Amino acid sequence: MNVIEMQGVSKRYGKLEALRGVSLEVGAGEVVAFLGPNGAGKTTAISIMLGQKLPDSGTVRLFGHRPDLREARGRVGVMLQEPGLPQSLTVEEIVELFASYYPYRLPTGEVLQRADLLEKRRAQVSQLSGGQKQRLYFALAVVGDPDLIFLDEPTVAMDVEARRAFWEQVRGFAALGKTILFSTHYLEEADANADRVIVLHEGRVLQSGTPAQIKRLVAAKTVRLRTDAPLEQLEALPGAGRLERENGHVLVYSNEPEAFLGELVRRGYSMSDLTVKDTDLEAAFVSLTGKLEA
Amino acid sequence: MTKTITNVTKRRLSPTARPSGSTSAMLLAQVRAEFLAAFRVPEFLIGIVAIPVMLYAMFGLTSSGTLPDGTQVRALMMASFAAYGLLSLAIFTFGVDVAQDRKGGWLRLMRVTPMPAWVYFAGKFAMSVLFGVLTVLILFAVAALAGGVRLPLEKWLATFGVLLLGGLSLSTLGFALGYLARPKAASTIANLVYLPLSFASGFFFPLSRLPEFLREMAPYLPTYHFGQLVWTTVGSREAAQAFTGVGPEGTLEHALWLLGTFVFFGVLALWGYRRDRDEARS
Repeated sequence: MNVIEMQGVSKRYGKLEALRGVSLEVGAGEVVAFLGPNGAGKTTAISIMLGQKLPDSGTVRLFGHRPDLREARGRVGVMLQEPGLPQSLTVEEIVELFASYYPYRLPTGEVLQRADLLEKRRAQVSQLSGGQKQRLYFALAVVGDPDLIFLDEPTVAMDVEARRAFWEQVRGFAALGKTILFSTHYLEEADANADRVIVLHEGRVLQSGTPAQIKRLVAAKTVRLRTDAPLEQLEALPGAGRLERENGHVLVYSNEPEAFLGELVRRGYSMSDLTVKDTDLEAAFVSLTGKLEA
Repeated sequence: MTKTITNVTKRRLSPTARPSGSTSAMLLAQVRAEFLAAFRVPEFLIGIVAIPVMLYAMFGLTSSGTLPDGTQVRALMMASFAAYGLLSLAIFTFGVDVAQDRKGGWLRLMRVTPMPAWVYFAGKFAMSVLFGVLTVLILFAVAALAGGVRLPLEKWLATFGVLLLGGLSLSTLGFALGYLARPKAASTIANLVYLPLSFASGFFFPLSRLPEFLREMAPYLPTYHFGQLVWTTVGSREAAQAFTGVGPEGTLEHALWLLGTFVFFGVLALWGYRRDRDEARS
């Protein structure tokens, strides 16, 4: 038996098919990333695993139980997107309240320390910044010392420093043998924090594998530039992945943009209008889907 | 990366984890959170507790005289405004509050925790009872101290009991509103329900001073029956008759009306609760 077992789950909202026969399993102690662009079905899949939504077909079991039963809920912690909290309660009061809901609990002080909210413990929710609220949601997700933690796009409202601190907290929990499933649309985030990546696209599981395996399929960075180097030359450079033309520019997908650009300079080719950014997953997956179906 | 396969039925607790409290501790925490949230929004308190007291001071304390059996009009007016206060409490704590929780996503978050739904409702009930007791006691004190209302102790106690039971019978009306009204409209609908109901049931002015057609309509309103139960507890049946110009019918009939109201809106609230839950799941 696995911690999460999802079989043939489909879900439709009116005309939109949010999930089309998703099956997956997550074992005890795994840290799994749901990777996919907006609209891929990540949030829907998580709501079905939580028993918030019922699938049109298929089944979900958490620890062998239906997810809406107390046997499952008592072992699950959740960080939802924008849940909304009573504005006039303080951080400490809400954490205490949530602790009372679970069969086991962590000490409030420890939870607040882990979520970096000790200084804000007496602040009311209405006085918290966006990032602090996000950390409070994390505190609520872990106060019941759950065996399984769902994090739905947890770092959306965080800056770089907050992200780093946040993932450190999550790794702390993973080290205790907890199972963690988080969704993200950043390949780097999945790469850095997950043991396994499940790529969702248009309601289907496109790929499931280690971060290294997924990175071979989808390059993390996109280099966009004008250059006088011929395409066949570019293709041969170290670090260069798939190439595309885009109105006078060349797009190079790469996991090692530094190596690629370094070699380009060494060979004396011209370079202008250069940008290096995170690969747009939507675009990457469209090409990946094409590759798989071809 | 290979992971050791272990039995998933076993809990993997953190070293610092300890068992949480019992269900009663959970209930207590829920009630505490409801109280704190309510007390930190003073407008809420004022709306629920102070308005009936203020209205009684303006309209009740200024009325004088006694009814044929010697009951003071001020005593019956005290009962009227207490009934009004409890009606507004039922509509606002159960109705508008629940609608707010639905809108804010707070209910959605609580639903994914292992907390049973009844704990949430019990929290609302407890808060409602506390504020109900507060409203009634303050009204009693104002009536006795500022209005010179004198009643034997057993009358005070009986009135207190009838008021609270009657107020609870209206709770399902509030829940039905909370689950059936669209969250944004809940507050408006609440005002549209409880103000006319209070007026037409004779809570603001004695029914005997209202137009004939309102007196004829009143016996079809559950809140009128609530009023009659309280008025006949404070004074005699003759006093209630003189005060209202209608009825009163038998105590059992009034009580059955309230019971019917409780059940009817209870069914409606349950239906609304299920609809809300199923909509969230679909």
